[in-house]
Amino acid sequence: MRYHRIVAAQTTAPISYRPAGAFDAPAALLPYAGPWNRRLAAHLLRRAGFGGSPADVDRFASMSASAAVDALIRFPDTSALPARPQLEDPPVPPAGLYRGLMRQNAQGVAPGMAADQTTTDARRAFAMARNQNRRRNLIAMQQWWLGRMIATPAPLQEKMTLLWHGHFTSSPEKGTTAQELLMQNQLFREYALGNVRDLTLHVSQDPAMLRYLDNNVNVQAHPNENYARELMELFTLGIGNYTEQDIRESARAFTGWTFRRNPDGTGSFVDNRRQHDDGSKTFLGQTGNFNGADIVDIIFRQPAAPRWFAKKLLSFFVYMDPEPQLVDQVAALIRKNDFEMKPVLSALLRSNVFFSDRAYRALVKSPVEFVVGTHQLFGISEVAPVELATLRAMGQVLFYPPNVKGWDGGAAWVNSATILTRENFANAVAQNPKMTQAASWIAPAMRSMDPHGVAKTLTDTMLQGDVSPASVAQLVAYLGGRGQAELSQLSPENVDERVRNAAYLTMAMPAYQLA
Amino acid sequence: MKRSGFLLGALSGLAVVANTETIFSQALAQAPLPGLPGSSDRVLVVINFQGGNDGLNTVVPFGMQDYYRYRPSIGIAPNDVLRIDDTVGLNPVLAPFKKLYDGGSVAIVQGVGYPDPDHSHFRSTEIWQTAQPKGYESTGWLGRYLDEAQLPKQNLFNAVAISNVLPEALISKTTDVPAVDALRGYGLQSDKRSGNREAFHEFVSDKTVPFRSPFLAQVAEIEDHAQRGAEELPKLVAGYKQQATYPATPLGRSLALAAQIVGSKLGTRVLYVQHGSFDTHVTQKATQDRLLADFANAISAFYQDLAAHGNDKRVLTMTFSEFGRRVPENASRGTDHGEAAPVFLIGGGVKGGLYGQHPDLNRLNAGNLAFTTDFRQVYATVLERWLGRPSAAIVGGTFSPLTALT
Repeated sequence: MRYHRIVAAQTTAPISYRPAGAFDAPAALLPYAGPWNRRLAAHLLRRAGFGGSPADVDRFASMSASAAVDALIRFPDTSALPARPQLEDPPVPPAGLYRGLMRQNAQGVAPGMAADQTTTDARRAFAMARNQNRRRNLIAMQQWWLGRMIATPAPLQEKMTLLWHGHFTSSPEKGTTAQELLMQNQLFREYALGNVRDLTLHVSQDPAMLRYLDNNVNVQAHPNENYARELMELFTLGIGNYTEQDIRESARAFTGWTFRRNPDGTGSFVDNRRQHDDGSKTFLGQTGNFNGADIVDIIFRQPAAPRWFAKKLLSFFVYMDPEPQLVDQVAALIRKNDFEMKPVLSALLRSNVFFSDRAYRALVKSPVEFVVGTHQLFGISEVAPVELATLRAMGQVLFYPPNVKGWDGGAAWVNSATILTRENFANAVAQNPKMTQAASWIAPAMRSMDPHGVAKTLTDTMLQGDVSPASVAQLVAYLGGRGQAELSQLSPENVDERVRNAAYLTMAMPAYQLA
Repeated sequence: MKRSGFLLGALSGLAVVANTETIFSQALAQAPLPGLPGSSDRVLVVINFQGGNDGLNTVVPFGMQDYYRYRPSIGIAPNDVLRIDDTVGLNPVLAPFKKLYDGGSVAIVQGVGYPDPDHSHFRSTEIWQTAQPKGYESTGWLGRYLDEAQLPKQNLFNAVAISNVLPEALISKTTDVPAVDALRGYGLQSDKRSGNREAFHEFVSDKTVPFRSPFLAQVAEIEDHAQRGAEELPKLVAGYKQQATYPATPLGRSLALAAQIVGSKLGTRVLYVQHGSFDTHVTQKATQDRLLADFANAISAFYQDLAAHGNDKRVLTMTFSEFGRRVPENASRGTDHGEAAPVFLIGGGVKGGLYGQHPDLNRLNAGNLAFTTDFRQVYATVLERWLGRPSAAIVGGTFSPLTALT
């Protein structure tokens, strides 16, 4: 057991997290044409990315809303980023290991008889080496992906990759290699704003997924329904839009879809015709000799499919518990664009509802958003290994979604334990004496030695002014020394430390937890 | 403005701190449930044996010949077993625990598991924590108890996880459970160096921000809990005098803190402690003996400490592991992931003895013990007979309580 799950612990939890206030249905998806400022530019960057640097916010604020959305939707060239992490090849099994294993399994180890000691020892030593290799690779992958999220000029590409990772979930739990999970991650990135029907078909043939949801053991003689069930329940339609019979029939259609593992640890899809059930299937009212591709096609012809993805996009980018009417509007948009995500995101991110007061700060930052955003804010590009443990304590481990449902999000991110971890992370960032050098935007205010100026810079840059006058007064009082030494009386090092502490206090304001 | 001015202004923070004693005494004075006199100050301590503890080498079926057939090198010899009856006995490293058993304060529920067992640590732990063998629950079984028990909302310590992260079992819709690894190191790291408290209290109490968010009040409340809890807990338990010598191990420290929290009468009903890792694929004996001996010493010190403060009758301890292990040992003198295993109920309310059937070693399920008692029946027992709450909604079904609790 390496990972604990941290889900919801709530206090005065409302029944719904739909924002208060009136929903303007006719105007919801029309392009926003209201005032444009840093506050809304930062909102766009938090949702379509991870928050960005203060310079990014300024740059977006200097464009029009529409140009800002275009800049996110049209991914800039990302070839300067490392395309993949440095992974170690998996260890090579000693010659004869599997033959010995097969013999042992075939004969069975009778109770009381020692198993073939040499074979078993070799098998265990190999399993240990393979697990350690995979663990090192997964750490490298986490650091690489976080580094990419921080540095990318195409934040929406990484944000969509993260969305698909939490939607079409797979994890190393069942023995999937790091290389296979990396392939899946690259698939999500390639289809970030691509066609989600095509993505679903590729996911259905993806080695990490075939393994995670057991389709590699789904054969004509023994159909395994796991993938067929989750495909409909969690990935595309939702409960109530298919029957148990549809699950059984579609599982038969996916029989024989498996993969071959390559020596470098990657996998290759294999359509094993001999294990495929060639009989006739009746699925969602249609009958034929269907295979997995047919099933995906039929699923995406159901009215529930565009609604399912509409709700997903709205909850991830706009607000939780979206009105059914809004879901229908976005679903219509998805259908009209034949499941192409690019035009859908383009319309959604420039819409009135996206820039409405109701959507503003209406989501809780995920741990990844919190950590990556903090890096971008203070210009810290390097991801320290300790941050991976921090993210785990906050409840989100990349490449390890908690279960096939993915991360619940919203209120599930916050409880006393995760909040303490978030604040202690913020404190660790602020305690770094190099922080004010990395965050060059702090310097001018700091040089002024004016508590009001520093407090305004901090709250404007870090929170877009989403702070009460009383909280600003607290910050000013803290910076002013609370009756002790004023900023102007301190040594430069002590000024720096006090400003860094004030930045920490700003991160401790509730608004900093909200996206 | 002077410091005191800020303190007075920061109502949300200070008012509650000033009133803690009242709140806690209210918690303790809460009316007992019908039929369960004194249940209002009862505590449940759950100890999680993480990694899958081998039940067969914990409660040893030395009277079943098959046991030695399956365990030629790691089986525990009949003469070494601390006998309970002619069939089963305890691993010899559990000697201090055997004393508790002989004193009548340990119930051993044999063969506990659930249908269609999952062999993944991750998933099986999730099943035990959520009490949901099928599908996914967003709350834990203890969390649902907290939701349904209507404990005083103001009390920050209705339940405490002695852990660095919150276990899924304690995830609740209404109660924010603090996870306290140890008093040292718990809380805001910044507070040790700079006086930020006033500022924090202001931030979390001030609702006049220029935006609306469906999450703002909740996030502010949890931040307030986190900051205040971290600040208050060490003070509230500071007066406690430990009356036993605990092993200098993580479990010893955790149970010492548990006794301290119980003894400080904070109104805590549920404590959760981790112990492990028991994942003994290779040379099991060394690891399991160390962990079981540690458990026996720590639990024995725990009840001694509790008794010295008159709290032993208030505290029921339940152990569990996500699964037992495969019956045949493997070639590395270890065991692989298995299924059913025993659960211990210790202390307050316990009617000592063996409960449930020991799984039949002649009827293995692909090398695994078939469960004889559903884990939700054990949970139902604890909920109904100790905590005094109806169990059906919490465990998702009707399970009749065992007679292991009076």
